[in-house]
Amino acid sequence: MTARRLLQIALVVVVLAYPIVTAGSPVWQRLGALVLLAAISASAWNIVGGYAGQVSVGHAVFFGIGAYSAVVAFVHLDLPPILGAPLGMLVSVAVAAVIGVPTLRLSGHYFSMATIAVGELVRVLSSTSDWLGGAQGLGGPAMPRTVFDLSFVSAMPYYYIFLAVLAGVLGLTWWIERGRMGFYLRAIKDSERAARSLGVSAGRYKLYAYMLSAAFTSVAGSLYLCMFGFVDPESGFGILLSVKILVMAALGGAGQLFGPLVGALILVPLEELSNSLLGGQGAGITFVVYGAIIVIIARFLPSGLLSLLERRPNAPTKAAPVNPSPASGHAD
Amino acid sequence: MGKVVRRTLVAGAALFAFSLAVDAGAQQTVKIGVLYPLSGNAASAGNASKMAIELGADLVNKGDPELAKLMPVAKGGGLSGLNGAKIELVVADNQGTPAAGQNQTLRLITQEKVVAMVGAYQSGITQTASAVAEKYGIPFVNPESTAADLTERGFKWFFRTTPVATNFAKAYSDFLKEQKAAGRKADSIAIVYENTEYGKSTSTAIADLFAKEGRNVTMKVPYSANSTDVQPQVLQLKEKNPDVVVFISYTSDAILYTKTLKSLNWKPEIMMADSSGFNDQAYVKSMGREVEGLISRSAFATGKPGSISAICEELFKKKNDGVGFDDVSARSFQGFLVLVDALNRAGSTDSAKIQAALKATNMPADQMAVGYNGVKFDDKGQNTLGSSLLIQMRNGEYVPVWPKAKATADVVLPFKGWTK
Repeated sequence: MTARRLLQIALVVVVLAYPIVTAGSPVWQRLGALVLLAAISASAWNIVGGYAGQVSVGHAVFFGIGAYSAVVAFVHLDLPPILGAPLGMLVSVAVAAVIGVPTLRLSGHYFSMATIAVGELVRVLSSTSDWLGGAQGLGGPAMPRTVFDLSFVSAMPYYYIFLAVLAGVLGLTWWIERGRMGFYLRAIKDSERAARSLGVSAGRYKLYAYMLSAAFTSVAGSLYLCMFGFVDPESGFGILLSVKILVMAALGGAGQLFGPLVGALILVPLEELSNSLLGGQGAGITFVVYGAIIVIIARFLPSGLLSLLERRPNAPTKAAPVNPSPASGHAD
Repeated sequence: MGKVVRRTLVAGAALFAFSLAVDAGAQQTVKIGVLYPLSGNAASAGNASKMAIELGADLVNKGDPELAKLMPVAKGGGLSGLNGAKIELVVADNQGTPAAGQNQTLRLITQEKVVAMVGAYQSGITQTASAVAEKYGIPFVNPESTAADLTERGFKWFFRTTPVATNFAKAYSDFLKEQKAAGRKADSIAIVYENTEYGKSTSTAIADLFAKEGRNVTMKVPYSANSTDVQPQVLQLKEKNPDVVVFISYTSDAILYTKTLKSLNWKPEIMMADSSGFNDQAYVKSMGREVEGLISRSAFATGKPGSISAICEELFKKKNDGVGFDDVSARSFQGFLVLVDALNRAGSTDSAKIQAALKATNMPADQMAVGYNGVKFDDKGQNTLGSSLLIQMRNGEYVPVWPKAKATADVVLPFKGWTK
C-alpha cells in the first residue's frame, strides 16, 4: 500500500516537473504538451466510445468545431482565440444532440459508419464556406497581441494548461465512472437490451455521454488552435484525426480511466520520433512503423495495454475471472 | 554479461566524445532545414521539390562546369561567402499536416540548429511552420505557397519567392495589352472558373487587376469542377462571343470544356488557361492536339539549349529518372538558390545577417532558372519581380512564347484549336 502510494506520488512529481526538467530541449518539452493534448481528446472520446461502447469514428467533427470556434473568435470577432472555446463547447453539444438522436439508435458498426459519414459531410461543408476560410483554412493571431492569445515560444505554458484540462476531464470521468451514470453506461455496453429490460433509459444516457464527450473534444480542438495557430478542413475535420483519437484510446484501454492517457503516451512519441528519425528519407516509413505497431497491439492486446496490468494479479490465484471489473481499484 | 554491458558503455561514450570532437572540427558545414510533404497526398510534389533542392546543394558543394559560366553559384567548392563552407541539408517530412510541419520545424531549429528553413509546399503548413521560425528568429524562405495572406502577417523572417495570383494576372494583362497593340482583337474578356477556393481566388485576382489596368471583363462564368456537362456554359460563351476566354480549371473539367467547345464549334480569338488542369500531363496527352494555339502559364519552361533553365533541367533529369522540372519543383529550386545567394552575401551564419541579406536580395532576371523577372523582396517579404512565362500549345506540346527574352517560339494567334 505504501509502495503504491509512493509510486503515485513519484508519478505526480514526474508529471509536474517534466517541462522544467526538459526546459533545455524544446522538442522534448513540446512532446509532453502534445501527449497531453492528444490525451484530452482521447479521454473525451473514452466517455462515449469506451464506457458506453458507442464507437464513434467521427469525433473530429467536435475537434474541428472547437478549433474553428477559436479561430472564428479571432478572425471575425477580434477576440483571443481561447474565448471561442465555450462557444465551441455549446455548438458541439448542440451538434452532438442533432447527430446523436438519430444515429445512436443504430447499433455496433452501423453507428460507427454513420459517424464517419457525418464527419466527412462536415469536412466537405466546411471547405465550401467562405466564412470559415474555405479549403484554405483560417489562421490565428500571427503574433501574440496579449498573453491571452496563448501564443508562446516555450511549450511550458501549454503543458500546464493542457495538464489542468486533462485533470478536469479525467476527474469528471472518474466521478461518472463511480456514479449511477457509470453503471448505466457499462450496462449498456455489455448488453443494451438487458440494460433496457432493467429499466435503464439507454437512449438518454448514451446521448448524455455523447454530448459530454463532444464538449471536451471541442475543448481539445480550441487548445490545438491556440498552440498551432491554424486550422483547415483536413486538419480540423479529417477522418485520420477521428481514427487517431480512437486508436489512442483503444491502444491504452478503452473504458478505463487512464487508458487514453497511456495510449497517447505511447502513440504520440512514437509518431513524432519515427517521423523525426525516418521522415526525412521520404517514402512514408513513419506510417508503416506506426501501422505495424497498431496491428500488433490489435492482434495480441485487443483490450488495450492497461489490460496487461490487470491480468497479472489474477494469474497466481488461478481464480477464473468471471467478470473483471473495469473499475477495479476505484470502486472500493 | 556485466563486462559486455560495461564495454558497450565505454564504446558508446568514446563514440559520443568522438562525435563531439568531429562536430567541433566540422565548422565548415552550414545546415539548412528542408521541410516538404514526403508522405501523404502531396508526397510526389514534395519529393520532387526535395530533389530539386538537393540538386541546388550539389551545385553549391560540387559545382557544374557548364552552368558555372552562367551562374557563379554553380562554381562548386561550397559557399563562396563563407570560406567554402559546404551546405548540409536536413530534410524533414511535414506529412501533409500543419501540426507535423510545425513540430518538425521546431526540431530542425532547436535540435539540428539549422541556420535557415526552406519549405513547405502547402500554404497551411507554410503558415504554421513559418510561425515557429518567426518566434525563434530564423529566416524562412518559401518558394511555392501562394495563399495571399501568408505575407500579410507582419512577419520579419518570412520571404516568399513565388509569384502569387496577382502576378499571374499581371502577366496575362501585359500579354493581352501587347496583343492589342499588335492589332489583335482583345476587347471583351470572359473568365470561366471552377467554383472552389482555387478558381474563386484566382478569378477574383485576375478580374481585379484587369479592372485596374482597363482590360474589359464582360462576363464571369463559374461552374462546378465535378460537373459532367458544361454545354450551358459554352452556349453562354457562344452567344456573347467574347474575344478572349480565360479558363481556370482542374483536369477533368478542362478536358470536358475542350470537347464541348469542339462539339459546339465555337472558338474565341485568344484562348487562355491558368495552368493547373490545362498543364496536367493527362490533359496535354489527350487534348493537346485539339487546342492548337492555347496560351497557358508556367513558372518553368525549358529555354534555348545552353540557357540556365535548359542546363538545370538536364541535371535534374539525371537525378530524377529522366523526369524534368515541373512548375513546383522548379520554383523550389529557384527559392533555394535565392537563399544560397543571401548566405553568400551575408558571409555569416548569424540569423540577423542572413535576414538582412535576404532583405537586400536583388537577383537579376538573367540569373533565374525559372521565368521570374528576378527576385527582390518588398517589406512584407513578397518577391515583387515574380512573374510567369506564358506558353503556347504547338502540335501537342507547350513551348514558351512570352516574354520574348525567354521565348523559344513566336506567338501564333488567333487560336486555331481543333482541325476537324
